[in-house]
Amino acid sequence: MKSTLGKRLQLGTLILLYIFLYAPIVYIVYVSFQTNGVWPFPPDFTLEHYASLWHDEIYREGLKNSLIIGIGTAALASLLATMATIAILKYHVKGRMIMTGLFLSPLFIAHVIIGISSLMFNKNVLGLSGNIGSTILANATYATAFAFLVVLAQLARYDWRLDDAAMVFGATPKVVFKEITFPLIWSAIFGAFVVSFLLAFNNLEISFYNLGATPTLPTLAWGSLRHGVSQELYALAALINLVVFVFFGVLYAMLKSGLLKLDYKEA
Amino acid sequence: MNQKIFWRLSGPGALFLVIFLLVPLITILVFSFWRTESYTMIADWNLDNYIRLLTDKTYLTFLMRSLVMATVVSLVSLVFSWPIAFFIARYGGKYKIILLLLTSAPFLTGEVLRVTALQQILGPLGLINMTLNNFGIEPIEALMYSNTSSAIGLTYLWVPFMVLAIYLSLLNFDFDLLEVAKVNGAKSWSAFWEITWPLNKIGTAIGVVLVFVPTLASSITSKFLGGPNGALYGNILTNQFGSTGTWALGSAMGVVLFFVSILVLLVVWRLVGDLRRSGISIKGGARL
Repeated sequence: MKSTLGKRLQLGTLILLYIFLYAPIVYIVYVSFQTNGVWPFPPDFTLEHYASLWHDEIYREGLKNSLIIGIGTAALASLLATMATIAILKYHVKGRMIMTGLFLSPLFIAHVIIGISSLMFNKNVLGLSGNIGSTILANATYATAFAFLVVLAQLARYDWRLDDAAMVFGATPKVVFKEITFPLIWSAIFGAFVVSFLLAFNNLEISFYNLGATPTLPTLAWGSLRHGVSQELYALAALINLVVFVFFGVLYAMLKSGLLKLDYKEA
Repeated sequence: MNQKIFWRLSGPGALFLVIFLLVPLITILVFSFWRTESYTMIADWNLDNYIRLLTDKTYLTFLMRSLVMATVVSLVSLVFSWPIAFFIARYGGKYKIILLLLTSAPFLTGEVLRVTALQQILGPLGLINMTLNNFGIEPIEALMYSNTSSAIGLTYLWVPFMVLAIYLSLLNFDFDLLEVAKVNGAKSWSAFWEITWPLNKIGTAIGVVLVFVPTLASSITSKFLGGPNGALYGNILTNQFGSTGTWALGSAMGVVLFFVSILVLLVVWRLVGDLRRSGISIKGGARL
């Protein structure tokens, strides 16, 4: 009896959190269809913000740059983090604890410090102005730490003897990784990729200090603040959330039908 | 042989972090001992920036306010994250990944957009207070441009990090242990305090730090929600890199922020260590 009460309370908290997290997003979607953005009541529906979003080059440019930063960061971070996790979990050698500490350390450094320190380093030491490349590199520092945490937690119980067994039967390390390890751990790597993408795609604090005039979604939002956030950005955010929920729908359908299995322990 | 493979696999990432994280951090450490004159750094070694930060009451006030804010936000997030993470990990089944990603997907909508939307929901002209007004009820003052309103905004932004950290920790937790405890007559609460909590303390500590650090450094949320007495340490820190152009002082503020974060990390680690020593030995968890 008591455990069902506990379960209900937990589910209640989860639903409350979802409502809390999505209330502003629902509001953003609503305002994206309104003529007046400041006090959009009573409703006065319009599609003009979507039309001007379509015609204005700058938003497409911003979206493109944000996607490049998100994907670039996620690819780099999940690659470095996966390699490090395999090293730490598979090989019980000297330096494991130090490595673990090093890979987790960016979690404890505020983004604004990463942003200003990479700005100061690029500008005053290297004499370079920031660009998309340096933004990806700066974002990838903390993203690597998150990716590492995600992969480490998911692979902590992976049985590395599987790899050894394959080696005994003559497989080369490359073949072992391709045929044994990767098919079993890809969902952990995918999780790390998704988390680092989520973090980097709309990161303001690092992009702001690393990119001058190059537009990204967060810097466009920041720049438009003087006149109140432009409603085109609300429209764009609404479209992004539409894509996200279509993605969740597809994911749900695939998990339900059993087409996709993400838990390697069940595989 | 193994040692060699270990370095080959972990080396690239380690090198990457040293070059793109550590070296820039050392740069601002160095610059914090210089001074800025008309928007250029001058290598004139001095301690003025630190003396100013430690003697001028303004900076200390802002730092203290940020520390209190970060503590409150972390504790509130902790209370909410545990049941959520526990539910997803234990009852999520094959849909765990969706339930978890639903807590993180709001990150795809920018911080500025979400915080300004929150401002429109919470503020004096916002949805909540206008609705109350329509029913002839007094508006809730605490929701309007106050530190409470900032705290709500910051919890909103960072609570997904805590959920993620606790969830990841619970992934490696064997829920069968709870069944065993129950069979042996333990109540749900004592099973939680004696088994679940001690085994997931490190994950929880990581979660606390993941919320504490960004809250301590935050500037955007307080700008929109904090009102006249809501400015936080992050706000004056970012000012040094904006209009005033006093980069050396800003670097020193960044260094101070960094060391305060490390100090907090050590305190949390210490707490976890103490709990670890006392945790398992507690007899009759009902006392808790």
